[in-house]
Amino acid sequence: MRRFTAFDASRMVLLLLAVVAVALPLLWVVLASFKTPADLNQPGLIWFTPTMANWTEVLGSDLFAAVGRSVLVATITVAIAVVVGSMGAYSIARFQTGGSLSRFGILASQVLPPAVLVFPFLSVAYMLRLNGTLVPVIFSHLSFVVPVVTWFLIGFFAAVPKEIEEQARVDGFNRFDTFRLVVLPQVLPGIGAAAIFGFTLSWNDMFYGLILSPANSTILPVAIAGFNTFRGVELGPMSAAIVIAIVPVVIASFFVQKRLVQGISGGAVKG
Amino acid sequence: MQFKNAMMTPLLAVMAVAVGFPLLYSFWLGFTSYQLVSGGVTDFVGLDNYIRVLTDREYWVSMSATASYVMLSVAFELIIGLTIALALQSQKWFKNFTRSFLLAPMFITPIAVGLMFRFFLNDQLGAIPHYLDQVGLSYDFFGAGRALITLAFIDVWQWTPFMVLLLLAGLESIPKQPLEAARVDGANRFYIFRRVTLPMLSPILIVAILLRGLDALKVFEYVYATTRGGPGIETKTIQYLTYQTGISYFRLSEASAMAFILLVIVMGVIVLLFRRLERVNIR
Repeated sequence: MRRFTAFDASRMVLLLLAVVAVALPLLWVVLASFKTPADLNQPGLIWFTPTMANWTEVLGSDLFAAVGRSVLVATITVAIAVVVGSMGAYSIARFQTGGSLSRFGILASQVLPPAVLVFPFLSVAYMLRLNGTLVPVIFSHLSFVVPVVTWFLIGFFAAVPKEIEEQARVDGFNRFDTFRLVVLPQVLPGIGAAAIFGFTLSWNDMFYGLILSPANSTILPVAIAGFNTFRGVELGPMSAAIVIAIVPVVIASFFVQKRLVQGISGGAVKG
Repeated sequence: MQFKNAMMTPLLAVMAVAVGFPLLYSFWLGFTSYQLVSGGVTDFVGLDNYIRVLTDREYWVSMSATASYVMLSVAFELIIGLTIALALQSQKWFKNFTRSFLLAPMFITPIAVGLMFRFFLNDQLGAIPHYLDQVGLSYDFFGAGRALITLAFIDVWQWTPFMVLLLLAGLESIPKQPLEAARVDGANRFYIFRRVTLPMLSPILIVAILLRGLDALKVFEYVYATTRGGPGIETKTIQYLTYQTGISYFRLSEASAMAFILLVIVMGVIVLLFRRLERVNIR
């Protein structure tokens, strides 16, 4: 057993500080969501009579329609991304399709400034009279979710041993069935992680949503920003809305953290 | 069609529609005088938009504000992230809980983070200025000369976890033998860190810095939630300026030119990143 040194002590203090730094603003928002407007003017107030007024206001508002639209957009985007992404990632990982150009293209499109793509989406949406729908938002989300999901999956497909596939081919499977019935089940955990990660990316985007979603039926991040802009500052209800936006993704994050590193680094680093 | 190409086709089709087409369209927009409100009447104006943007003082102020923001936030994220990753590496108690909890901020909607800090740091309503006030300090987080630093700090709060995640994985994939050998030779902790750990960590360090830098370049939500570019145009980052030009002032063509100039710069950085990445993959 190693001695407990000053080094260990400072390490513990550091981690404790980090945990506090992460927790404080979050706790403050949760507290604020239970405060009356009068209590909100006393920022130091920790003991107070909690009010449910903010929550009932938010639960009764159209925020949940925005949550529904965000879920709809994210689900459609992720479904498309997982289907085309897994096929493409398999092809790239197994056959080096397109050489290093494929990987380069995926990486490059992943970091395109959203401002480059958003105006074409907007003007095409006007031309096709789709500007009152969520279709342009879905297309814009595809532009960053598809490359990320594909990039994420390449590493997982590369880790599948070739021998299983060769055995399946000997057993008379054609190439697509080998992919669908033999390889895919092997990378299911990776696909799950990629899908959840892609979902949070779509769920968290505001830039595209702000410009492309219809003004009267926006997605969640835009709706939250609306608490701040158009009706003056409604700090209480806004805090409740923030909590609603945060909780699902933080819970989802606990399921993907283990596989995240392997995915983000394209398989270069094992998680 | 060959099987491997058939498998790529759906991906290429989606990418062509969602990325390729808008990219080309945007490139073309930059050479026209497109007006969203006038029903899409377009005239080819050559390099007019590019010249206007490149000679616009506001564009360069915005560029330098964005550059300061990126350097400031990524530098702090790197230092804090590396320290926390080293501390977490030898953590034994509550290991999984500490890790999961410390990583949480990077999954939160950036606009929610922005709004949260807008009020957490607000003069009248915020907890931090309130407690600073009680010990006799007064600091306006969104005042002149400070707002950009505050924005970078928000970035640090949300994205240091990303650094921790990558660096921790890097640290844990370092082989143990060189560390043991150095210890047997009597090297001290600091020497081992500087001469053994850091060089072996450098590939993932480069990846982490570049991924964070490229992402920080796109900062929009924090500005939208807190300062809206102010005080003055101090915190008008490039993404916010582009948004304003295109959406608030309806100058879509000029905004496209702005975005493309940024893209050229970003692409330069990516080519460097990719060369490094390939080298990492070969190892």
